Amino acid sequence: MNINRIATIAGLLIIALWPLVVHDVFYQRVGALVLLAAISASAWNLIGGYGGQVSVGHVVYFGAGAYASLIVFTRWGWPPLAGAPIGVAVSLALAALVGTPTFRLRGHYFSMATIAAAELVRILASNWDVTGAAVGLMGPPVPRSVWDFSFTSPVPYHYLFLAVLLLLLWLTWLMQRSKMGFYLAAIRGGDRAARSLGVPVLRYKLYALLLSASFTSLAGTLYAVMVGFVDPESGLGILLSVKMVIIAALGGAGTLFGPLVGAVILVPLEEATNAMFGGGGTGITFIVYGAIILFVARFQPGGMAVIWRALTSRRKNRAA
Amino acid sequence: MLLEATAVVMEFGSFRAVNGASLTVTEGDIVGLIGPNGAGKSTFFNCVAGDLTPTSGTIRFKGHDVTRATPEQHARLGMARSFQVPVTFEDMSVAENVMVGAFLRHGHRNAARRVADEILAFCGLDTLANARAGSLGTPGRKRLEIARALATEPQLLLLDEALAGLTPAEVRLAIDLVRKIQQRGITIVIVEHIMEVILSLTEHAVVFHQGKVIAEGPPRQVVDDPGVIAAYLGGSMKRVRTQIS
Ligand SMILES: Nc1ncnc2c1ncn2[C@@H]1O[C@H](COP(=O)(O)OP(=O)(O)OP(=O)(O)O)[C@@H](O)[C@H]1O
Ligand SMILES: [Mg+2]
Repeated sequence: MNINRIATIAGLLIIALWPLVVHDVFYQRVGALVLLAAISASAWNLIGGYGGQVSVGHVVYFGAGAYASLIVFTRWGWPPLAGAPIGVAVSLALAALVGTPTFRLRGHYFSMATIAAAELVRILASNWDVTGAAVGLMGPPVPRSVWDFSFTSPVPYHYLFLAVLLLLLWLTWLMQRSKMGFYLAAIRGGDRAARSLGVPVLRYKLYALLLSASFTSLAGTLYAVMVGFVDPESGLGILLSVKMVIIAALGGAGTLFGPLVGAVILVPLEEATNAMFGGGGTGITFIVYGAIILFVARFQPGGMAVIWRALTSRRKNRAA
Repeated sequence: MLLEATAVVMEFGSFRAVNGASLTVTEGDIVGLIGPNGAGKSTFFNCVAGDLTPTSGTIRFKGHDVTRATPEQHARLGMARSFQVPVTFEDMSVAENVMVGAFLRHGHRNAARRVADEILAFCGLDTLANARAGSLGTPGRKRLEIARALATEPQLLLLDEALAGLTPAEVRLAIDLVRKIQQRGITIVIVEHIMEVILSLTEHAVVFHQGKVIAEGPPRQVVDDPGVIAAYLGGSMKRVRTQIS
């Protein structure tokens, strides 16, 4: 068996057994948060990594999912999870609306346009009473049934998130091997050459964005279900978009497990600094993000995936 | 008539890079496009392939008006091309580059892989199938671009200086490849500075100068045309002559 397969199986086993092995609720919670971050970063990875279109506005889809679940609860008393399909539908509409004009832009201009769109949505949500304006929305204060999926223990969340993450990674794996995976790689390699070979560039970017937005929205719903609260900062803040980019880039954008690896590194780091420095930890968060951006941009644009490949191939050479 | 470009004009601002050029290509031909640097050959190619929309003029391919069609529509209709400066997908393997082309007509991965393998062998790239495209040198990239274009199963192949920058030995290999491509039933338009290539490959040469076609006919006749000599004069005609002799 090759080293990649062993590492993958071992890693997935650790993640699957984590909440059963550690009993401290703090660590269990960190585990669930790692998976949640891995879902949104892996979703971002579909368009940002595989498609090479660096969106820094993905929080709109996350926010759509989070808000949809708490709106269906506050308006109609539905369980928050029931907001998931609505969040996905809104995200698909938003993705088509944002993607169609912005995909014509190149590089930094595309990224900036996505930031602008997301900030616009955040400002609108801060002033709209349906979304609770600046105050935000609350979930069910006490669970009414299991359908509210409201637990004090992080363990059920861990397994719900794991199931969604595995589904997403499986779809990504299928995509990567299919025509769509090749077309996205070609688009990343150069629009002009791709088009000359018959690749409908805009269409495939849009497919990737729609899939990406759906799962980012799902991550938002899962977040709202777990935390039971969303406001413009926690559901639509630009920092969340940046975090998706950083996690994916740190682990390796455009690779299957890169975002998961990035989440495994970043989220505990963030939680540890928050725990150590209390509420003032957010300032530290920025420093950590900045350091990672510098590290990835300056030394290793391929992220940990490249470092891993270098390490494992060196072993192979030595063995030979 | 496979391709009919009529009175094509391409303006960049007030500069006319292509100034009323026409070209007809019959099925099965190899047509050579020659002309001094900056004559507008690549720009004309880009218009024909849909990369640029001409300012005026019409381009018909297989009876369809493709003047305003996108590059991907051209590819689907059966027109493929190489670029003067190769643009291979650096991070993909050689085989994967070719598979991108093959996916145009074969939706499934295994079918695309089969087509790619056949094309790679045909182009003599089979031993490099798993190499990263970015690791190839210029001759390899040019060959890969041709392979990738062939994988789209075109009827017309536009080659923009696909042989430039090759050593004489590599040029001979490339000439053989182009002949084999023609034998597959693919019509070829080739832009080339090396006269040896034009003389040995084509029966019909078209000379571009300042965006216009100034001569066309059998290549040997064309290079003796006084207008053509004047166009090249001071420039590369000396090179042209030495290459002929
Ligand atoms: N995008 C562009 N914008 C402005 N001018 C351009 C553009 N593309 C080409 N030109 C100009 O048009 C003219 C024709 O260029 P083109 O590349 O078509 O020539 P060519 O015949 O292919 O020459 P070469 O043999 O050097 O490849 C040149 O003067 C070039 O500078
Ligand atoms: Mg040129």
